Amino acid sequence: MAKLVYLYGIIPKNDSYKEKLSTMKGLDDFHEIHTIPFQETEAVICHLDEVQYGEKELEKKTNDVKWVHEKAFHHHEILMKLYEEFPIIPMKFCTIYSGEESLAKKLDAHQENMIELLEFIKDKEEWIMKIYCDPSKVRENVSEQNTTIDQKRKEIGEMSPGRQYLEKRKLDQLIDQEADREKDSFASNIHEALASISLQNEVKKNWNKDVTGRTEEMCWNSVYMLKNTAVDDFLNHVKELQDKWEPSGWQIEVTGPWPSYHYAKIG
Amino acid sequence: MSHRREFENKEVGLIDILDVVLDKGVAIKGDLILSIAGIDLVYLDLRVLISSVETLIESNQEAAEQLSSKRFDQEKEELNHVINGA
Repeated sequence: MAKLVYLYGIIPKNDSYKEKLSTMKGLDDFHEIHTIPFQETEAVICHLDEVQYGEKELEKKTNDVKWVHEKAFHHHEILMKLYEEFPIIPMKFCTIYSGEESLAKKLDAHQENMIELLEFIKDKEEWIMKIYCDPSKVRENVSEQNTTIDQKRKEIGEMSPGRQYLEKRKLDQLIDQEADREKDSFASNIHEALASISLQNEVKKNWNKDVTGRTEEMCWNSVYMLKNTAVDDFLNHVKELQDKWEPSGWQIEVTGPWPSYHYAKIG
Repeated sequence: MSHRREFENKEVGLIDILDVVLDKGVAIKGDLILSIAGIDLVYLDLRVLISSVETLIESNQEAAEQLSSKRFDQEKEELNHVINGA
């Protein structure tokens, strides 16, 4: 029976970890995780049964939230274990090849690029920052402190009740806009300060509350590639910013170091 | 002083994990099977994943809907008040 190949990541050629890996179970909780050598690199994989993990079956599985959560976490956990030991080019969740042969072709074609990437990430770390805020608190502050809004409010106070109603609605919209602007400008200032310490950085998409399941609103999400030697500086900076802004309801959260999902990608 | 210990490898939320392991490298394609240089590479459709994440919080959404209909009632009342009062 043909076996699919689930690829976790690519690590440099090395013999010292074989035993460690063989004790880990793969995505299906059955096949063992092992490596396949490709020239100067090794692919960390596990086999998957084609009947259970073929295209159609996989699609069904991904509609099951519980499955996605459990398996995405498994993927993450394995990657973190590998990352503790070696530089690694991490793959995205559910990178599956139709067989060892197709994996080999892909890896042969990218061998040079992979070696360069492994060299590049060796002395670097990837960190992620997310900023959360309490939207009603931001709105309240804007409503109290913005001079344009204050002026507008005074004008409305002198209008007839019917007119007041409409104008108040408009003012509410203005406050919303100003609050959004405030979130963005606050977060991008923080980002600029951290970005200046990084080699590379990227602003990512904000996830809405339905996905994060949090009451606070995510108003910034970005990733930084840092030299090892700059990490302390980066984190000190974060700590200062946290201490400074937490009392006003801004939560600056950093996670890392992550396997380099953003800066070690093969085409 | 180093704050590394305070931040490093602390517990991360599911959203932090999904945020990195799914990401947009996959999203742009949107197809279940990508053909890279003629080789079959099975990939998940990110939209499928996102939607499955979203179903998890369906209950949250229901709560949000209730909230918005409550808000609607409130606004209606305000409007009536203005019309009657004006």
